[in-house]
Amino acid sequence: MKRFFARNAPAYVFLLPWLVGFFLLALGPILASLYLSFTRYDMVSDPRWIGLGNYEYMFTRDRRFWKALDVTFTYVVLAVPARLIVALGVAMLLDRGLRTIGLYRAIFYLPSLLGASIAIAILWRQLFAEDGVVNQVLALVGIQGAAWITDPDTSLYTLVILAMWQFGSPMLIFLAGLRGIPRDLYEAAEIDGTPRWRQFTRITLPLLAPVIFFNLVLQTIEAFKTFSSAFIISNGTGAPADSLLFYTVYLFNEAFKFFRMGYASALAWVLLVIIAIFTAIAFFTSKYWVHYENERD
Amino acid sequence: MEVSVEMEEAAKIAHEMRLRRDKRARNGRILKHIFLIGVSCVMLYPLFWLLASSFKPENEIFGSLTLWPSEFRFDNYTEGWNALPQSFTLFYVNSAIVTALSVIGNLISCSFAAYAFARLSFTGRRFLFALMMMTLMIPYHVVLIPQYVQFLRLGWVDTYLPLVVPRFLASDAFFIFLMVQFFRQLPRELDEAAMIDGCSPFKIYRAIILPLSLPAMGTAAIFSLIWVWEDFLAPLIYLNDIKSYTVPLALRLFLDQEGKSAYGQMFAMSVLSLVPVVIFFVLFQKLIVRGIATSGMK
Amino acid sequence: MAGLTLRNVGKRYGALSIIQGLNLDIRDGEFLVLVGPSGCGKSTLLRMIAGLEDISEGTIAIGGRIVNDLPASKRELSMVFQSYALYPHMNVRKNLAFGLQNFNVPRQQVEHRVAEAARILQIEQLMDRKPRQLSGGQKQRVAIGRAIVREPQLFLFDEPLSNLDAELRVQMRAELASLYTRLGTTMIYVTHDQVEAMTMASRIVVLRGGKIEQVGTPQELYTRPQNLFVAGFIGSPKINMLQAKVLHEAGRTFVDIAGLPRFAIPALRATSEAMTLCVRPSSLQVGDGDVTTEGTIRLVEYLGSETLLHVALPSGQVLLVSDSGRNPYRMGDPVTIGFDLFDLHYFDSAGQRVEPTQNESLVQ
Repeated sequence: MKRFFARNAPAYVFLLPWLVGFFLLALGPILASLYLSFTRYDMVSDPRWIGLGNYEYMFTRDRRFWKALDVTFTYVVLAVPARLIVALGVAMLLDRGLRTIGLYRAIFYLPSLLGASIAIAILWRQLFAEDGVVNQVLALVGIQGAAWITDPDTSLYTLVILAMWQFGSPMLIFLAGLRGIPRDLYEAAEIDGTPRWRQFTRITLPLLAPVIFFNLVLQTIEAFKTFSSAFIISNGTGAPADSLLFYTVYLFNEAFKFFRMGYASALAWVLLVIIAIFTAIAFFTSKYWVHYENERD
Repeated sequence: MEVSVEMEEAAKIAHEMRLRRDKRARNGRILKHIFLIGVSCVMLYPLFWLLASSFKPENEIFGSLTLWPSEFRFDNYTEGWNALPQSFTLFYVNSAIVTALSVIGNLISCSFAAYAFARLSFTGRRFLFALMMMTLMIPYHVVLIPQYVQFLRLGWVDTYLPLVVPRFLASDAFFIFLMVQFFRQLPRELDEAAMIDGCSPFKIYRAIILPLSLPAMGTAAIFSLIWVWEDFLAPLIYLNDIKSYTVPLALRLFLDQEGKSAYGQMFAMSVLSLVPVVIFFVLFQKLIVRGIATSGMK
Repeated sequence: MAGLTLRNVGKRYGALSIIQGLNLDIRDGEFLVLVGPSGCGKSTLLRMIAGLEDISEGTIAIGGRIVNDLPASKRELSMVFQSYALYPHMNVRKNLAFGLQNFNVPRQQVEHRVAEAARILQIEQLMDRKPRQLSGGQKQRVAIGRAIVREPQLFLFDEPLSNLDAELRVQMRAELASLYTRLGTTMIYVTHDQVEAMTMASRIVVLRGGKIEQVGTPQELYTRPQNLFVAGFIGSPKINMLQAKVLHEAGRTFVDIAGLPRFAIPALRATSEAMTLCVRPSSLQVGDGDVTTEGTIRLVEYLGSETLLHVALPSGQVLLVSDSGRNPYRMGDPVTIGFDLFDLHYFDSAGQRVEPTQNESLVQ
């Protein structure tokens, strides 16, 4: 017993801040959130138990919930692949044949770093405004641009483009992955006269599969969590016509504008479950398409 | 005689082929550069447009694609700085306080946890590590409401405590993961040699692991600095009094006053808010890039 | 300085048993070498003594004090690692002083001891360099220096020479031996290189599969290996092993070995029907011996001081013969080889050594 204590005590001392944080800031709130999701709670009076009431309302009567899901899923389905394809393409361009890539790498990564800031969201609103830069460029080639931000049909695409603009971090991860592919594989393929496209599908893609998988999971989770830019660009409401009603924006407004904390908690739990399902699907299907070079680790 | 002629011929052909291949490679490189420069321009144009607009008079901002203002005006900066009920000086001080405390908190608490996970053996290590990794996945929105209720009860709303205290409790697991990845690369014999040299676990952390992990600490510091600086949601929820606003919240105030059409000032302040991030990026670009490569994230 | 007592020491990782029921007494001031094939548990055992691995069973006592629950930092020993494990961010001086400072040795004494160690190891001119500015041999010296400044009661070495090139290894081997003579401290040294073991050890412990096969001086191990494993492990070129059938006729003992004429052997303390007879290549002679046989030279390896002949017996078995190296042998030549009876080692069917009854003195 004494031995057990002596063996473990130092480690747990080091873990203490994290453990406290884990219980008070993660596990506790998650469980509290689960409890609140079964209540009606406005922060003034005590939470009132209403069973599955919130969930029932959400799934059967709340149009805005479905709209938020629709907006968010559309965004995820468009933005994640778009971002990853751009990232992979640029990474492959940078990977071979060029000696100095540092500057390009920096330029391409910069937007990812700035992307979460309010300043960029503000800038984006102006770029896609009716008299904004984008429309002026389009006017140069004779196209009459739309009112991108205020038109419900197009507003979401401005955010997809914002997501594409921030392809920097997956690009860096792809670059690291490409560096890990042995050069002699390509040389062997070259000698065998394998065309470039087949080199890509037969060497690059399979060997990069773990990295692609990793990026896909990560970016999907990130996309589900998108908040600041949507909040700013939609003026905090999800406007126009709820076309930018991202799930997180809806949740935020339910909680902190209308103080429907119980309902918002139910929304939060549904989001958690959705993300968990996506992650689980990715992990369980990964064995069919991800080949790991080193199975041991 | 004939043989040597043939050989000469063959050598010439080989030489020409090599030349052609080199030329093709060079042409390919040039094409690539042209393409990449083009992409770079598109990528950077919005940022330059923002910068340029911040110097333009109000009526020039829209309706013109040229980046060069007809005259450079600093009014947007001087007026924008004081355009809100409180001066930006205050917002910057607020942001600096929150950021500095958060970075310190992140570095201490996350490196503690990472040291335990990466270097110490203890009962429950695998399980706790898995838990830690799972918290990476949890959206902030899920824990937000109970956290808010809790902090409200503690009377912490409208203070910086809800923004800072969680960081001293290693709430950002990404940094733990980043540091674990780095610590694991250090040879374990160093710890063992230090142990035999009479070091306690804490001494090993302080005298061996930390000094050897300065790059990882630097990476974590920069990321955490930039993210906290840009953080919007948490301040939005916890800070109501304009006196305690951080820079992102202040920027948002411009949007609420859009009717006044102070675009130039808004852009000028936006530019200023990005300046620290860009400076740190330029200075520590290498650390950031390497940090992403080692963690494989973000 | 201190002796060491290991009682029923065992190490398990879950169901996997690395070391089982190991008993060993290490005398004060002894240079003990742990040797064995990779995976035999020698490094694990050393690390258990150091306090870097838990002891699953049994007790380890240093200088009479049981240290099972004592952390490495309190065992008053030093260790030299295979990878040297110098602290990369400290210069040589700080590397040497670090341990002493942790033990609150007064500053003056730290300086004195560091200077002394630097002098002994001739690294005085390197004191301000960082480890990455040192060559392999220099790193090795610093690592040893770090161990000796502590003036511990026990030195542990974990394959310290295996990262050096051949020439340096020979040199450092000699230096370590002279360091041992000078300090006289108990040393425990792990290696897989039997030459290191043979040249430096007061006693050698041969380990296999987490068990001790034999403990003894280098001479004992070479001349009287207790079992087939030790016979095969110690000595280079490797000992020749012959499968033999034992017959008893008219009060005498004979052996049948495929390809050899039947011959009589001295009476043994115990016999089994099948035995293994071993003879070292250096005990096989060309053209001479109590027992001789014909063979064909398959391969000639000229080593300078000796020539190693691979001789195929009519049965097809190949024996190694070490010859003085002056005669011109050619592949394919027929050759007569032989050995003297007292050069034979006898092992029963369980692989354990069996001594002849009368001429034990001869074997020595």
